[in-house]
Amino acid sequence: MSSATVKFQPEYSQPILQEIMEKSGQNLLSCYQCRRCAAGCPVSDEAGVTPDRLIRMIVFGQKDEALNNLLVWRCVACYTCGERCPNNIQTAKITETLKQMSKKAHLEALSPKIASFHEAFIKSAIDNGRLSEMDLMMTYGKKNAQHELKKGGGWKAVIAELKGQAKLGLALYKKKRVHLGSEKVKNLSEIKKLSKKAEELK
Amino acid sequence: MKIAYYPGCSLHASSAFYDVQTQMVAKRLGVELVELEDWNCCGATSACKTDNFLSIALPARNIGIADASGLDELVIPCSSCYSRTLVSQKVLADNSDLRDTINSELTKKVSGRIRVLSIIELILKQLNSKDFSEKLKYKLEGFKPACYYGCLLTRFPYDIKIEDNVENPQGMDIICKKLGAEPVDWNYKTDCCGASATVNDADVALRLMSKIMKDAIARGANCIVATCPLCQFNLDAYQDMVGEKYGIQRRLPVYFITEFIGLALGISDKDLQIDRHLIDASGLLKEIKQV
Repeated sequence: MSSATVKFQPEYSQPILQEIMEKSGQNLLSCYQCRRCAAGCPVSDEAGVTPDRLIRMIVFGQKDEALNNLLVWRCVACYTCGERCPNNIQTAKITETLKQMSKKAHLEALSPKIASFHEAFIKSAIDNGRLSEMDLMMTYGKKNAQHELKKGGGWKAVIAELKGQAKLGLALYKKKRVHLGSEKVKNLSEIKKLSKKAEELK
Repeated sequence: MKIAYYPGCSLHASSAFYDVQTQMVAKRLGVELVELEDWNCCGATSACKTDNFLSIALPARNIGIADASGLDELVIPCSSCYSRTLVSQKVLADNSDLRDTINSELTKKVSGRIRVLSIIELILKQLNSKDFSEKLKYKLEGFKPACYYGCLLTRFPYDIKIEDNVENPQGMDIICKKLGAEPVDWNYKTDCCGASATVNDADVALRLMSKIMKDAIARGANCIVATCPLCQFNLDAYQDMVGEKYGIQRRLPVYFITEFIGLALGISDKDLQIDRHLIDASGLLKEIKQV
């Protein structure tokens, strides 16, 4: 758990606070640090930061800390924090916003595997209109391997990951739970239009 | 009775047997499921994490198709698809500018007429009819399920009201009791299984699942029952890994609620494709008794 003192930096706080409140649709100023969110957060052990701390960082203008902590990436979007918040703040919407901001600022994801997974998922969903699990795992595996090699994990790490996936894949195949084909939406142009619109609005 | 049906991508791939079961069970209950024509992926959690517009627009296309179907209700068995569709519907009801922007790209426009149901809500609607009791051929005696609802059936990132209790939902428990099973009272009903973290953040997912498994076992459950294909998949496919890492010896079969109802209605385990489980789910079937 992070115990670093949070410093108030008024000159920085306004722009980042406004930006995140607008993009996430959450009123961060209503947080009175009751920490019900922290008590319910299932990933706080691994993330090292609880939702209340993240909110505090943003309110105090600590942009770098807010963008570079593991809660942003390891948040599983279970919505427990938001459900229990007496002020209806959905921290999952804040972590989503920070992920998107981090990508836009071309920051390296603190957890590249998580970033690669979601990007691969959306790519497959948009390419075919329906998700192909095979497509997803191939694209994700490729991105992951590239990253692993770049950061110096070497082929050993790549092979270890692939071995694990192959073992599970075989067990699933035996139970007829692996689907090799992919389905396509007939009116794929409509999906492409929505995707184009999304790019325009970014 | 005709109801629109959105299977979603999982039910056309790794959880295809859940699609088969849902259709069979609905038919036996006198509900005709009409699959949405040319439906698309809802974007799931990945859309929220990468693109706000798509997270609303992708389910909106399906809502438009459902709104134009002339039917009143749309059942969505997958919790993620269910949640994302409800959220999109809510956001578009509150934000007419965004609704207009999205509608201008769609052939079938969102009008907001369709009512979205989870599989639990669909079954609960049938449960109290005299017909339903008459259709029950078998009792699930000896089944002590831990009813596992997961995150997305009761918690939403927007103000969406549901009928069940948010922290201690009862819908699946009520169904199980009606079928003669004895659901256990436990703590991890609505805790997270890790969802896609099993693939991209395994340490988190395995630990979350270890808590679910330990509590279910400690409370005397002899199986888990779920409605979400990803919850079922994770707890089924990764249970051995969780057990090995956290020293849990027992293994529990992880059923879909449609398997429970299907069995009680007298559909064979073969037709329900219960052999597709990774953790053997056939042992408990011997306990089933004729009504």
